[in-house]
Amino acid sequence: MARGDFVDTDLQKSSPSSRSSDPVATFEAERSKVIGRRRFYRLFFLLGTLILFIWSFSVSEIFGGDMGSDPLGRMLTFLDKMTPDLEAPLLLEGAETPGSFSNWYYGMPLWGPALLETVQMAIFATILGAFLSIPAALLCSRNLVPYAPLRAGVRRILEAIRTLPDIIVAMILVAAFGIGPLAGVITIVLSTVGRLGKLFSEINENADMRQLEGIRSSGGNWWDQIRYGLFPQVAPGYASYAMLKFEGNISAAAALGIVGAGGIGIELARAITYTQFTDYLAILLMMTVLIFAIDIASEAIRHRLIGVKVASA
Amino acid sequence: MTIAMEMDQTSQAELILHKAVHPPLSKRVQGLGGVVVLALVMGWIAVDLELTPETFFRGLSRLGGFFSSMWPLSDGGDLQRILYALAQTFAMAFAGTAVAAIISVPLGLLGAKTIVPFAPIHFAIRRVFDFFRGIPVLVWALILVSAFGLGPFAGVVALAVADIPVLSKLYAEAFENIDPKQAEGLKASGAGPMASLRYATLPQVLPVMASQGLFYLESNFRNAAVLGIVGAGGIGFELEERIKMFAFDQVIFIILLYMICVAILDTLSGRLRSNLIH
Repeated sequence: MARGDFVDTDLQKSSPSSRSSDPVATFEAERSKVIGRRRFYRLFFLLGTLILFIWSFSVSEIFGGDMGSDPLGRMLTFLDKMTPDLEAPLLLEGAETPGSFSNWYYGMPLWGPALLETVQMAIFATILGAFLSIPAALLCSRNLVPYAPLRAGVRRILEAIRTLPDIIVAMILVAAFGIGPLAGVITIVLSTVGRLGKLFSEINENADMRQLEGIRSSGGNWWDQIRYGLFPQVAPGYASYAMLKFEGNISAAAALGIVGAGGIGIELARAITYTQFTDYLAILLMMTVLIFAIDIASEAIRHRLIGVKVASA
Repeated sequence: MTIAMEMDQTSQAELILHKAVHPPLSKRVQGLGGVVVLALVMGWIAVDLELTPETFFRGLSRLGGFFSSMWPLSDGGDLQRILYALAQTFAMAFAGTAVAAIISVPLGLLGAKTIVPFAPIHFAIRRVFDFFRGIPVLVWALILVSAFGLGPFAGVVALAVADIPVLSKLYAEAFENIDPKQAEGLKASGAGPMASLRYATLPQVLPVMASQGLFYLESNFRNAAVLGIVGAGGIGFELEERIKMFAFDQVIFIILLYMICVAILDTLSGRLRSNLIH
């Protein structure tokens, strides 16, 4: 009897109005309310997305720009224009024969060095950027710098660098440093520090602090702890992230030329100025093969680096 | 433990210590060799690309000049146009991401090992994705503008084309990671293929796809900002115009406005994403 009373008062407390109705009906009412609310949110969300969709398509002139309204047809015509007229029996003839490879790639004496310049820019900027990232990362690692405002300051600067698109930075730097690879190299160094500084600091924060404590307890100063306690732990991780960033830097260096910051992009922009359609494809293929090859090589190296780390741990 | 054994251990420890503190010559040469090679490569590139300190410092002082001319910030009396360009940038990013996401769903299905049991198809599709993954958006935009003429349409296509290889790969992985038990349960209780799609596959796949789509929307808003440089519409065009005029008060104004928009979009989309996943 006492138990029944207890259940009754409990029900009364939670929902006084439904005291007489049966609990199944209460549950069903509550459930349909929850489902209804969820449906309403979904509908609202869907409607919002739809409006955003239509608005974005109309603002970006997908249908009915001044080029007519057949986007697919235009694309196919363009692809056809880009494809060179190669002829199978003439493929290996000299540059004077139309239909041969060397006729298609007639610009190789210019494009080859430009492609090499792209790689050089990426290598130089990645190495320099990675070395500059090390002090930046030390300064914003929670376990190495006890002074919070300093960490926050460095972090905000790195964040600001990451927000700015590379190309915009490159445009400003081209205006200051002139057309050529220097502006591109500085741009890539900045973006490398912005990204690697953050990633390196994450590696630092995951490092095993006991090794640093061991060095401190035997009389090592701050630098000794970093040099002998931290770096041996984090170096493989640093190298692996730097290689990853190098892959991105290659494609960034390829694009930067478009605004005059050196590399193969300058040649692509030039071909487009003179509407040499088959050149577009030629240069695009060179770029793609380069980026693809470097991705594969760098992936192999990164896997080895991580493997070394696992074996030594 | 006898004293002799302890002595033995001490001497062993000292041997290890000696090796650790004084690494063998070959190892030291190896380390030094790495540094020398690195320095040589850097030096060769610096000479080859004519990266000289003089040009660097001359440029730096010009850059300083730009920054000293940036204050006070100004909208150049064209605030409305700048705001419209920002909105257009967002519209391009949204449209490009939407197009890429829609096209990536069937491609992702084809690339998923669990859906297409025929290995050569998904292998070929994935290699094609890998091949095109590296080409930067700006390069696509440059080419597409010359195909489609100036205007945001080329920008949208460029964003979509650059995203499709990556999104398709991510979607293929999302399909592969489906837990088959839910579909099996539905099948066991007599549900047809449509019901299985609706109640087992979509609830698992949609949140992942939507969250990746949002992530690409964020990244595309950054990419879309530069497309205007090659004539594909948006804020990039306004920026380029002002950089060429050395109107740095307006350049910095636009950049700050743009960074605020990026922060707002990142926050909103980050919140939506964390809601989707939980």
